[in-house]
Amino acid sequence: MTHALLLRPFIKFFSGVRVVGGEHIRGLDQYIIIANHNSHLDTLVLFFLLPLRDIARSHPVADEPYFSKSRLAFRLISFLFQPIWITRGRPETDRDPLEKVKQVLASRHNLIIFPEGTRGRPGEMESFKSGIGRLVAQCPDVPIVPVYLSGPERALPKGSKLLLPFWNSIVIGHPQTYHGPHRDITRRLESILVELSLSNAARRKRSARKRAAAVVAFLGIDGSGKSTVSRIVAQGLSRASNVAFVSDGLEFYEQGASRDAQPLLAEKLREIIGRNAKRAKSLRAYKVPKLAELLLRDYLIHEVERWYNPEIIITDGLPIFNMAAWAALYKKEAIDEETCTQAISYLTEDAGRMDHSERLLRDLPELKFIRHLSLTRLRLPKAVVMLDVAPGTACARISSRGEQRQVHETEEKLSELREAYLMVCEVVQRHWGIPVQIIDGSQTLQQVASKSLQFAESLSLQKGEAGESSN
Amino acid sequence: MMLRPCDVVLIAITIWLTLANIARAFIRRRILHASYLGVTWAIFISFTIADLFSFAVGNWILALLSFVALREYFSLIEVRIQDRLAILGAYLSIPFMFYFVAIDWYGMFIVSIPVYSFLAIPLLITLGGKQREGTIHSIGVIEFGLFLLFCLGHLGYLMRFSSWMAAALVIQVVVCDVSSYLLRDRLRSLLAETIARFLVPLPLTISVALLLSPWTGIPTRHSLIHGAMIPLLVIMGHRTADYVQVDLLGGEGALFPDRGRVLDDLKSFLFATPVVFHYIRYFLT
Repeated sequence: MTHALLLRPFIKFFSGVRVVGGEHIRGLDQYIIIANHNSHLDTLVLFFLLPLRDIARSHPVADEPYFSKSRLAFRLISFLFQPIWITRGRPETDRDPLEKVKQVLASRHNLIIFPEGTRGRPGEMESFKSGIGRLVAQCPDVPIVPVYLSGPERALPKGSKLLLPFWNSIVIGHPQTYHGPHRDITRRLESILVELSLSNAARRKRSARKRAAAVVAFLGIDGSGKSTVSRIVAQGLSRASNVAFVSDGLEFYEQGASRDAQPLLAEKLREIIGRNAKRAKSLRAYKVPKLAELLLRDYLIHEVERWYNPEIIITDGLPIFNMAAWAALYKKEAIDEETCTQAISYLTEDAGRMDHSERLLRDLPELKFIRHLSLTRLRLPKAVVMLDVAPGTACARISSRGEQRQVHETEEKLSELREAYLMVCEVVQRHWGIPVQIIDGSQTLQQVASKSLQFAESLSLQKGEAGESSN
Repeated sequence: MMLRPCDVVLIAITIWLTLANIARAFIRRRILHASYLGVTWAIFISFTIADLFSFAVGNWILALLSFVALREYFSLIEVRIQDRLAILGAYLSIPFMFYFVAIDWYGMFIVSIPVYSFLAIPLLITLGGKQREGTIHSIGVIEFGLFLLFCLGHLGYLMRFSSWMAAALVIQVVVCDVSSYLLRDRLRSLLAETIARFLVPLPLTISVALLLSPWTGIPTRHSLIHGAMIPLLVIMGHRTADYVQVDLLGGEGALFPDRGRVLDDLKSFLFATPVVFHYIRYFLT
């Protein structure tokens, strides 16, 4: 009540708050918030972003001796935040501080923890204490929500008693659960918060130029080995730069090795829809989930860029090209090179500026639908690698995988699809000047992979150059 | 109470802006999102209240708007911990200046910021701490914030002359902004664009000035001159604010409430308000 009527309006009008990623905390049943700690205001600001119903059942963990210096402050803090009082660094007086905290978690309440243990110098983050890792290791089922605060350290820094109005910006990361030894968890959480602090969303200043990642797309029909090859290329390129790899799953590579990262909601959604599409019995039933999956995949590329800021994104297939090729498969008679060019430009450019022939929209009414959903800003890649395989070989490879075949995986359909992909490659090379490398996929895996890697390295995809043609 | 036609128009504009603001909350189209509905709305609310009810209340609404603008500006600049006292001083300049607007003491209003606040800020910086490096930088950035505040103070004092004088100025500035928004990236050279941004809104601002002259009480001759002045002043304001904004925020990108949105909305007033105010004061009062 006090929060809703007094503190929230105060924070809102006195300081101003901008929250990025608020959707990550809404709808969670129970959670532990971890945040950087620079100011006494931090707790107040964190309570600002809690849903109202969670206020009574959320507790910050606070050091009792520090706050009990003043009786009034102690009472006030107890009344406002119902903290869990522990004693820092004196285990003999306090049996096991973790016990108290775990009891609170067992009663399905939420926790707010500042793992740095104490307020750091303004704007700097200290290394995390081991307590958070121990706690998470013992209660592995409660999701951890990382939150990065900036602003309170300017409004009320350590060592100052003067409270001034400054904007607060809160960036909420993706909730995740952790398992494993507590040291690893502590380290992992710390690096997540550091990452969050460096993310685009958290920066107070906008960068001079929005640095877009370079997208390299691998095309090819099913069974051409593009997933395997593109993963090898992603690993290879990661020796020099950060690489995100978008395939059936989302993977990150750094210095030649894979790196784990927070999962994205869009990714989970896409997985589910993709699984649905794969189970489809007919091409008709395949169409809608596949389209949804492709659109989500494009959204995912944007999300990956927004939250992880990789230098290169390798994608196994690219939504816009897959869509074009699939359109060719469904509407064989309607699609020629010209319509294909038009359709791609319709989906990637500012549609308002272009005059599109009536024919295009008549032949492909789906375009109008996508347009209505404001999904017409799909992304063109920096470069394309096409793995060209004869449909017969592809079919043989698919059946040797021993999985259930998808509806379109017949020799006839695959050869049509292959034609369509080749046409798309032709079109993007001619119309947009995007470099395309067509590699004969019937060679051995090593040969194909090394050729694609050579091609990708020759493009010099490092940032800076990549930024100039961001869309 | 009898409403005059000019009051009705003022109320109508304010209601329309209110509805547009409500619509903006639901329609997240980019053009609405970036346009400065919020600030214009606050300004017109204060005009309407000052016109119909109480000048003091309208005046303090403008003061609140200055607080929001100043808070955003201070959140963007880099300051040292010891400058905090000076920033407090800068915030306190808001009631200091607007009080003299409210009691109609022109002589004190016009020196409040350029003399007293500008002297107080450096002193407060030295009182805040012992570090000497960066003092000039801090004085500069904090006093530029006060400069913004002073511009809004002029709008308040103009409102004291007549609500419609101030409202006409805001409408003219909005006309200039809309035409420069429509003209951006259309012309190849900067010179051509600048000339176009002067010439295109010119007939509009002059006709607004002439059309509203029965309500503003500005004679035709002066309406013509100050209507012609405004596009030029807006261009000057834009140019200055663009340099400041790029330095504060970096290149292009979305503006958020704490990332230059309010400053962006107010940049056209930077030159227009003080110059038009002093023009009117010198020739007409």
